[in-house]
Parts: sequence; structure tokens; C-alpha cells
Amino acid sequence: MKGMQLLRGVASGFFILFGLLASAAGWGATLVVAVHTANGKPLAGAVVTLRSPGGADHPGVPVNAVMDQINRTFVPDLLVIPVGSSVAFPNSDSVSHQIYSFSPAHRFQLPLYRGKPYPPVNFDQPGLITLGCNIHDSMLAYVLVTDAPYFGRTDATGTWSVDVPRGTYKINVWQPRMEETLQKELTIEGERSDLTLRLTHALKPAPLEGRHSWDAY
Amino acid sequence: MSAAVLLALAAALAAPEWEIDLDARLVESNGQQSITNGGLGTLRFDDSQSGLRLGRARFALAQTFGQVWSLHLDASAWGDHDRNPVDLTEAYLQFRPYPFGGGYRFRLRTGAFYAPISLENRSAGWESPYTLSYSAINTWLGQELRTIGAEGQIDWLGTRAGSAFDVAFTGGVFGWNDPAGVVLANRGFSLGDRQTTLFGQVGAPRSTPLPPKQLFREIDHRAGFYAGLEGRYYDRIVIRALRYDNRGDPAAYDAASNTFAWDTHFNSIGLRAQSGTGWTAIAQYLDGETAIAPGSLYLSWPFRARFALLSRELGRHRISLRYDSFTVDSESKYGGGPQHGHAWTAAYVFEPDTHWRLTLEWLRVTNDNQDRPFYVGLSPAATETQVQLGVRFALGPAAR
Repeated sequence: MKGMQLLRGVASGFFILFGLLASAAGWGATLVVAVHTANGKPLAGAVVTLRSPGGADHPGVPVNAVMDQINRTFVPDLLVIPVGSSVAFPNSDSVSHQIYSFSPAHRFQLPLYRGKPYPPVNFDQPGLITLGCNIHDSMLAYVLVTDAPYFGRTDATGTWSVDVPRGTYKINVWQPRMEETLQKELTIEGERSDLTLRLTHALKPAPLEGRHSWDAY
Repeated sequence: MSAAVLLALAAALAAPEWEIDLDARLVESNGQQSITNGGLGTLRFDDSQSGLRLGRARFALAQTFGQVWSLHLDASAWGDHDRNPVDLTEAYLQFRPYPFGGGYRFRLRTGAFYAPISLENRSAGWESPYTLSYSAINTWLGQELRTIGAEGQIDWLGTRAGSAFDVAFTGGVFGWNDPAGVVLANRGFSLGDRQTTLFGQVGAPRSTPLPPKQLFREIDHRAGFYAGLEGRYYDRIVIRALRYDNRGDPAAYDAASNTFAWDTHFNSIGLRAQSGTGWTAIAQYLDGETAIAPGSLYLSWPFRARFALLSRELGRHRISLRYDSFTVDSESKYGGGPQHGHAWTAAYVFEPDTHWRLTLEWLRVTNDNQDRPFYVGLSPAATETQVQLGVRFALGPAAR
């Protein structure tokens, strides 16, 4: 497992290095993706992934991420990590939580706990993992494990930018509140490429804040 | 392997989660004699109970055993000379395994607990986060009903599987609640937050409408049941519907406690909707009947109640307004006459932190009760007003 991660890391490192060199040599470009909701407002926090249409990509370098539990909510409630990454799930609350996922990409359970008794969980398969707490049903979070070489999330203005070698890419946009999957193929030829994507469906409702989640009865 | 065993052991011996609440009230009431004073008042506190009162002193404990079993105890003191100064409102053992494939989960509870009916009493201790006094429906549920038996629930956790909905089916089988219905028939609906304890009583010594009764007793040796359905749209909308029937034998009578096995059944439906901007709306409806058959008679009391509550939360402040209406029909010539009424409740709640909660509540209830001329020689119509300032302090890992 460790060797595989290292290999991936080295490969991704070369890939990024290649990207930088390509950029310096005039083969590179800056892609700016803007995501707007159906009523034209910027959509923050949307996950954008870029893949080559051929699919011969190297995934990003695995990371060690953390998803905490504070005031009976997951913090953050969405993590995007390259395949092979690990996530620690400490519990900072004074009450116990019992974390589960029955998503096909990674089924697991963390038995009742407080503090940080468990080692981080490894995510070796790409896919979307939905997390819940078996004690507090209002707790809901997502881990998106991606094998895309380039990915990121839109900022408060609904935009995300990345430096990539010129070429053709499949661009995916996803956010937990989106009803649809947004996909677009784009060929980048110049130094800068701007892509604006607009949702066609209204967003699902945002989760209510933690203070509302009395669920004793 | 040994690490896993140690972890399992540590979890099995995990410290219990506990909470202590102290709730003091400053009360100004012009209400008629309350249930604890043996009268037909419709409020928790009557005019003789104005002043500084104990709202509730509560201690709750949840202890896990291994991964899927937990014990829940909820004990309270209400400061009104019940049989026991401190008594349990709920005590049950819960079995709650992990969800299995496709997002299904099975849950089982056994002991004494509240059936999933109220959409208002959602805080720890079956309290309402919106008002001090519960709606007429939920005041009655807290007063007369408790599941003493077992309840199974099957959840479909759809929101964990990409759906917009969660669904739950609940079924309960219970005994030891045969007197439920006697308060409704003998006094009618009321509005308050006094929950009857498992070994406590309702009514008052020398009270004609309602002498002291213990409600959690088995008289007819017939089990009751309920079946309910809950649907959720994300965390925004909750709908609950439930059919309840204690299958009481109305002719069964326990001479020692002078109590019939009241045959009580009802349908209940409720909806709660919350916006992302702090608004909450709740509506509940209850429609049923309770009956007894002393000798050759058959006496029945159909009842209906509903309420609508609107609440707005702004940071640590919450303002709520509720309208209740309630009816008990009766053709009895032996007391336990009809009651019709409505109530307005307005409350302001301020929660500076997780320990303190301050509430100011105004409640006005108007009702027409034919028992007033029959039992206490008063006019049937009464309008009662109660203002409460409540200060609650909560302590412990489970407090929030």
C-alpha cells in the first residue's frame, strides 16, 4: 500500500513538474471555471475535476485529511481527496459518536467513541462516500475520493482556477446540493481559458445549522 | 487484535452521558384551581401558585453497553407533592445496530418511553424548545400516555443514499397504561409542562373531579398497540402519522384503585417545516375517543385537538406563537361533561450559551367546561391567563 502511494506520489510529482515546464515553455494555460446556480448566483464550494478524455491520468498526490465532529456536526462537511488518501475522524464533542458509511465506494464503521481512538481511514477507491452518525441522525457529511489529476473547489465568487498543459479535458462539477451532474469537454488552446457553467435545476435545500438539530425525540 | 479488544472494552466501559437541569419559574397566574390542587383549572399553575416555583429539576443518564445497547433514564422533581419527590418520566433499554445494506436500520426500545407523536417536544427530557407550556395535545400525552412495553422501528436512511427522503415505520406493543383517558374525561384538556412520572399520580386528595390516580397500571390484561409512519424531506420537513389503540376493556374495573380500563384510541398527524432562515412551523391534529362501561352503561368521550405554532429564531433569540383548540364531547349525566376551548401562547426564549436558557411566556386559555357547574359550582366558561419567567441551568456532557 505504502509503496503504491509513493509511486503515485512520484508519478503525480512528475506530472505537476511537467505541467509547470509546459507552462513555462508556452504549452501551459490557466483555466478559470465559474459555476453559477440556475438563478445566476455564484455557487461556492462546488467541486471541479479535470480529466483527460483518454483517461490515462495520474491521480493527485494522496493527503492526510481531517474531518472533526464539533457540536454534533461534521467539520468540514465535505472533503475532496485524491484516491489513496486517509482521513482522521476525531470527535471533539463531549458526547460519543458512531460513524458509518454504507456507500459502495467504501463501507466502514467507527464504533462509539470520543476523542481520537482510531487510526485514520484509508480511501483506496474513487467515489462518493456519504457519512452519518448512528446516534445523531442529523449529522451528514461527504468524502469525495477522486482519481482526477486536477481538482478543486469554487470560492465565494463561484470560481476556481488551475494551471494545466494545453489540451482537451473533461470537466465535471459536483456539489452535494446539486440535483444534476454537470459535465463539459473543453479544448484549451490559448494562455487563458474561461468557462462558465450554469446549473439548470434549483439547488437542494442547505442543511440546517447544528443548533437546530434537537433530535432527542 | 488485542488493540481491537482493548478498544471494545474501553467503549463498553465508556463513562455515561449525563445531564442535570434546574428550571425555576416566576409565575403570575389568575387560573382556576389546578390539577395539583384538585380543581378544573386549565393551566399548570393556578392563582394560589403564583410566585417562585420549581419548574423542573431533572437528571438524565445514558449508558452504553458495547456498541449497540444503551440504557436511558430520565428522573425529575416537580415540586408539587407527588407520591415520590423524585421519579422517572422515562426508563428504557435501546438496541440500535448499524444501518445495513441499502440504508435500512432496525431499532428496538423496551421499557417506559414516549411514543413518537409530538413534533413539538423534541428537546431532551421531552421538553419543547419553543415554549414552556406544551400544546393541549402534547400536555395530554405527557399527562396520560407512556409506552410501557416494546417498540420497533425500521428506518430507511434515504438521505444517506442520495435520496431527498428518509422514512421510518414504528410499531409499539404496550401494557400498564389502562387508566389513560380518565383525565381527559374527568377534567378535559389543559396546557402545561407537568409530565406524569412512572410511579407518580395525577389528581389531588379530596378532589371530586379527579381524586388521585396512578395511570401506569394494568387492569384488563390486554396489550395495546400503535403503528406510526414518519417521513422526512431532508432536514426541512417532517410528517408523522400514528394510530394508537390501548385496546382497553371498558368494562374491566380495578376496585383497589377505583379505576376502569379506559378504552382509548386515536389517530394523530403532524407536520413540522423549517426554513434555512430560522422559521419553524408546526401543526398537529389528534382525533380519538375514550370510553368506559360501568355496569350496563357505555360512556364515551370523543375528543379532538389541534394546534399551529410559528417560531422565528434569530441567533440566540427565539420567538414563538401558538394557537390551540380542543374539544371533548360527552353526553354523560354523571360528571365528565363536554369541554370546548382555545388558547394563545406567546414565548420569547434567550439562550446565551449551552448552560442557560431564559424564557418569558404568556398564555391565555378560554374554555367552556360543563364540569364546572357540576363539580365546583362555577360558571362553565373561564378565561385564565398565566405569565411565566423561566430560568433554566443545564450541566453535563449531554447538555446543549
